[in-house]
Amino acid sequence: MRLVDWRGSVAAVLLMTLAACSGGSSSGSSGTGVTTTLPPPISNTQPVLMDYGPIVNGQYVGFNNTVYTTVIICVPGTTTCQSIDHVMVDTGSTGLRIPASVVTLSLPFVTDTSNNPIGNCVQYADTTYQWGPLMKVDVQMAGEVASSVPIQIVGPTNFAAAPSACTAGGTPAQTVAALGANGILGVGLFRQDCGSACAAASPPAIYFTCPASGCVAAPVPLASQLQNPVWMFPQDNNGLSIILPQVGAAGSVSLAGSMIFGIATQSDNALGGAQALGADPGGNFTTTFNGKVYSGSFIDSGSSGYFFLDSATTSLPNCAANSDANGFYCPASPVTFTAINNGPNPKGTGIPVSINVAFSIANALPLIDSPSVVFNNLGGPNPGSFDWGAPFFLGRTVFVGIEGQNSPAGTGPYWAY
Amino acid sequence: MRSVFILFSVLAVAAFPAGATLGGSAESVVTDQARFHAKRAVLERRDYTVHEITGDDGTLIREYVTPGGKVFGVSWTGPTIPDLAQLLGAYNTEFQNTLRSKRSRRSAAVVRNSDLVVESAGHTRAFHGRAYLNSMLPSGVTEDVVQ
Repeated sequence: MRLVDWRGSVAAVLLMTLAACSGGSSSGSSGTGVTTTLPPPISNTQPVLMDYGPIVNGQYVGFNNTVYTTVIICVPGTTTCQSIDHVMVDTGSTGLRIPASVVTLSLPFVTDTSNNPIGNCVQYADTTYQWGPLMKVDVQMAGEVASSVPIQIVGPTNFAAAPSACTAGGTPAQTVAALGANGILGVGLFRQDCGSACAAASPPAIYFTCPASGCVAAPVPLASQLQNPVWMFPQDNNGLSIILPQVGAAGSVSLAGSMIFGIATQSDNALGGAQALGADPGGNFTTTFNGKVYSGSFIDSGSSGYFFLDSATTSLPNCAANSDANGFYCPASPVTFTAINNGPNPKGTGIPVSINVAFSIANALPLIDSPSVVFNNLGGPNPGSFDWGAPFFLGRTVFVGIEGQNSPAGTGPYWAY
Repeated sequence: MRSVFILFSVLAVAAFPAGATLGGSAESVVTDQARFHAKRAVLERRDYTVHEITGDDGTLIREYVTPGGKVFGVSWTGPTIPDLAQLLGAYNTEFQNTLRSKRSRRSAAVVRNSDLVVESAGHTRAFHGRAYLNSMLPSGVTEDVVQ
């Protein structure tokens, strides 16, 4: 992708300005009555786009209902940068992951105490996975810069092969075509993808130390793990919101929206009437549907539809297995549902919060076969729980409260909408 | 639950044990579990037996065994997905091939073939799933027991 040296310079200047003024843009005068000049507010609004995705060999490779943005990565502490378009915005994961084939910069490895590179693994429910080393970059979005952020370089050919504990019998999704994106920007509820479990003894198979003899699962300190870049911004770091307009029942070929960093930190990111819902350490809450409570619910901009329960429970027929819409629901006519999301109040009041959600599921087959790629009515099965995917974000402002970070809504991890 | 026996309690490795293979003999549960140093408990039910294998990383695998000693179902919860190549054996190939034919979305994986059923859901820190063989469900046992 193209090089953009000048943006690094602008960001550096902004950072110095902030440091000199010791913070923020809200107070206009000092205690002695001497009026000071306000620094310009940090630009915290990053455009997002839903469209056909990146092009590989002359073909669009995006999936339906993908939210993309453009991320600038730089060699740490330098103005040697690269702008990467069509990076998927994923509230269901944490950290920035870029296929090695996309990266043109020469980046430093994150290493362990023995100076060995660290391998990172991420798996998805569809049993695809990404494997590759951690490297450090400065991440720029809008006017925000996160410095020396560990990211995953996915699938480099000159790195150890994925261990079996990572592949787990699944399928690699390590190319732009397989991802339908030039990378994944995980801006979910957590500071790190794994967190304390991966810093302790007997960690899950997410981090590996990779000496020449081969990669072995190993504890990795929090600071070396894959980081949510948003919580590493010097300001506007307590969370983010994603704002997307609504579309009609036939969908749309594209849709433009915004990702705004910070929650109630500037004039443009107030909570307004949004209600906040705490998530558990796994990132989940419960959903009540037809009087029954289902655990394991989550909000995931990286999922292509409303994925919930099963055909028997919802009375929605599954699409034919040999059709383009395999894996979705195909009701003869649209069906409207209401569910209730429940979780603790992130202010710690002890009084649970419940928020109704109304949604509609249409026949996926004509939608999938149409030119549209943005849909508010695409659904499919997710046995036993609710995955509130990309359609949930349409016509809403959805706030992501990062773990351990505070806002007027309370302490993360929480969702607010 | 009629009884619970803790058969082994050996600690230590980071990698989680996959257990016996779907459709295979329950004897391999013991072999695999010993090899991988996990904890195992056996729960006797009326028409089947459940082997619970607990890993130090928080992964829980359950294997459902017929009175004849065959594994008719498996389930898992944990921070990562266990090695399905081992857990599902040859059926993982059928599962993966079915999934590959529908790669146009991001979602849970649900495969419902005539005999093999596999459901894989969740996300990092909180995965769960199950698999069973319709043809091997013991008499009087429904797929609902595989949880």
